[in-house]
Amino acid sequence: MFKGGITKFRGIFLLMILSCVFFPSASSAETRIRCASTTSTQNSGLFDYILPIFEKKAGIKVDVVAVGTGAAIEIGKRGDADVVFVHAKEQELKAVQEGYFVNRHDVMYNDFVIIGPANDPLKIKAIKSATEAFKKIAESNYPFVSRGDKSGTHTKELSIWKKLVIEPEGHKWYLEVGQGMEKTQRIANEKRAYTLTDRGTWLATKDKDRLEMIIVLEGDPILFNQYGVMAVNPQKHKHVKYKEAMEFINWLISKEGQHTIASFKDKDRNQLFIPNAK
Amino acid sequence: MNMTLRISNIYKSYNGRSVLKGCSFSFDRGGIYVLTGHNGSGKSTLLRICALLEPPDRGEINYLSGSNIIKKDTELKRRMTLVLPKVGVFNTTVFKNVAYGLKIRGIKGNKMEERVNKALDFVGLAHKKDQNALTLSSGETQRLGIARAMAIEPEILFLDEPTASVDMENTEIIENIILNMKRKDKSTIVITTHDMSQAERLGDTMLIMSEGRIIQG
Amino acid sequence: MDSIIEGFKKAFILIFNLNTELLGIIFLSLKVSGSALLVSAVIGIPLSAILGLKKFPAKGFVISLMNTFMGLPPVVVGLFVYILLSRSGPLGFMGLLYTPSAMVIAQTILALPIVVSLCHSAIVGVDPIIKQASMTLGATPFQTTITIIKEARYGIMSGVIAAFGRVMAEVGAILIVGGNIAGYTRVVTTTIALETDKGNFELALALGIILLTISLLINVVLHFIQKKGMVK
Repeated sequence: MFKGGITKFRGIFLLMILSCVFFPSASSAETRIRCASTTSTQNSGLFDYILPIFEKKAGIKVDVVAVGTGAAIEIGKRGDADVVFVHAKEQELKAVQEGYFVNRHDVMYNDFVIIGPANDPLKIKAIKSATEAFKKIAESNYPFVSRGDKSGTHTKELSIWKKLVIEPEGHKWYLEVGQGMEKTQRIANEKRAYTLTDRGTWLATKDKDRLEMIIVLEGDPILFNQYGVMAVNPQKHKHVKYKEAMEFINWLISKEGQHTIASFKDKDRNQLFIPNAK
Repeated sequence: MNMTLRISNIYKSYNGRSVLKGCSFSFDRGGIYVLTGHNGSGKSTLLRICALLEPPDRGEINYLSGSNIIKKDTELKRRMTLVLPKVGVFNTTVFKNVAYGLKIRGIKGNKMEERVNKALDFVGLAHKKDQNALTLSSGETQRLGIARAMAIEPEILFLDEPTASVDMENTEIIENIILNMKRKDKSTIVITTHDMSQAERLGDTMLIMSEGRIIQG
Repeated sequence: MDSIIEGFKKAFILIFNLNTELLGIIFLSLKVSGSALLVSAVIGIPLSAILGLKKFPAKGFVISLMNTFMGLPPVVVGLFVYILLSRSGPLGFMGLLYTPSAMVIAQTILALPIVVSLCHSAIVGVDPIIKQASMTLGATPFQTTITIIKEARYGIMSGVIAAFGRVMAEVGAILIVGGNIAGYTRVVTTTIALETDKGNFELALALGIILLTISLLINVVLHFIQKKGMVK
């Protein structure tokens, strides 16, 4: 029994070692880089479309961690990613200035739109300015769903409230959900509320999610949504795969990369992102 | 030369209640010693101390080879065994229960099997060897305890109330097993019992305990 | 109502045509949770034996601590492991964040208290007479301990399986430390969360059914083990 016990323990230790072998560290087998990005980019299906093309060409696998813009920048700052692909230009530039990132480039844009119930109870459609629309929602105490997650969309929304000198937090009509864009849309749909969304997510999901909503406001320059990419500063974090990260960035802003982004279409043949790298 | 046991002036108390108050004896004649006395006279405690399961508070206990004292280590402990009144069956087959003492001694293969089968034959449990030991009756369980002890071929065997919890029929079977064992192995056997007639049937040497002392030996 | 029925229909079609991506996700779930379980068993069973059989100061405290930790919220564990493994954290040099290894670490922390608590009860529940019997037959203290662990084997297995059920169903911790990277750290539960977010209810439902089936299987196995351990 004694001997049997020992052999069994030995077996377990062997299995333990094997289980370590099972999970080779990310660097060993193939070259992988980690890209911290946003849920809106991932949920639109853009990465599923462009990454295989890049990976095949460069032989570099891109692992996408999709979180809110705020979290994505934070992940990059902590050195837990090699490249960050988000849409909050001011925050990005600030983080570059602080020395966390290098080589920031504009990649593409889409725009934000305000969506609301199909019958548009507040008649926002008659308004042309997003700021005015927000004002009307607040004054009418009409339900508005906010991402509430420091994402790029949330940042944009907050900047509009700030302009109006309105503090919506804590009001009964203001629902902070702390969820991704698509879920936020669905919550707005259930609550018959207005919300701010990006056109990419809206186009990609409105039919699939059977949203009984329409775009009530679009085209206001304030709703312009710029996506940028930047590499984690190798001076700050020595372990980052800077060379491979730059290969990815340079591909995104290259003619081929830009063309690939432009050719990405949703099910209804809508182009979701407009490339604008300089 | 067989191993002998000498105890002198053993004291033991539990939670302030003294159970043994100066026991001395020399187990040097071989054969069956029967330790009798009322419940609570200290028989079981003395047996546990003799079997080196627990140390005495005071007094000396020595195993001797001739006149040399044997060191009290695992090696010595493995030359004896104690069968408790409640056997403590392992949740496995009858065979593996009996093999336990051999396996921990590193005895395996044919030699192990031979000794286990011999012990099971001896106590009449050979036909139940593949059965789970927890399914045995109380009489069979007691016999299993004896087989488990026999398999390791102890030089001294302690049996604490071996028939206390079994019926008449099994009492007779167990008594016969004990007598056969003496004849066969010439080993020293120490038994406690509160049944005076059983003591007379089995004992070569009678020891009577009362109030923590051996009063007749 | 229609969408629910439709969802189930599509879910079953997906299950019957399991594609390699789906299989990979299921396999990774089993691998991550299985490894976490293995590590917790290797650490937890000896630890529970020490807790059950040895006397030492603060023993009661350690047992209460383990009982409390059985209910650790996975997100808290995830956050803790995240901070620990982040490149800017104390163990950042290992580069483990957003890898399956990080998920194993987080799940081990979740599984260990369950393994220890339940195995401890099983070991304490072994009749003390077993210890005596093993000692009288000449076992060393270590051999006696092994014997007691063996006697408690059915209870120990139940504990380990209960822990497996918990980590298999867990999403909070692995989402945070694994990052839900497609084809690398995406497991059943995180896929369900993501696909629900994306509105792909059929796929989420299909995976949910698979997860339920796995836990059903686990419970059936558990039932049989316990039945086998109970001898009249």
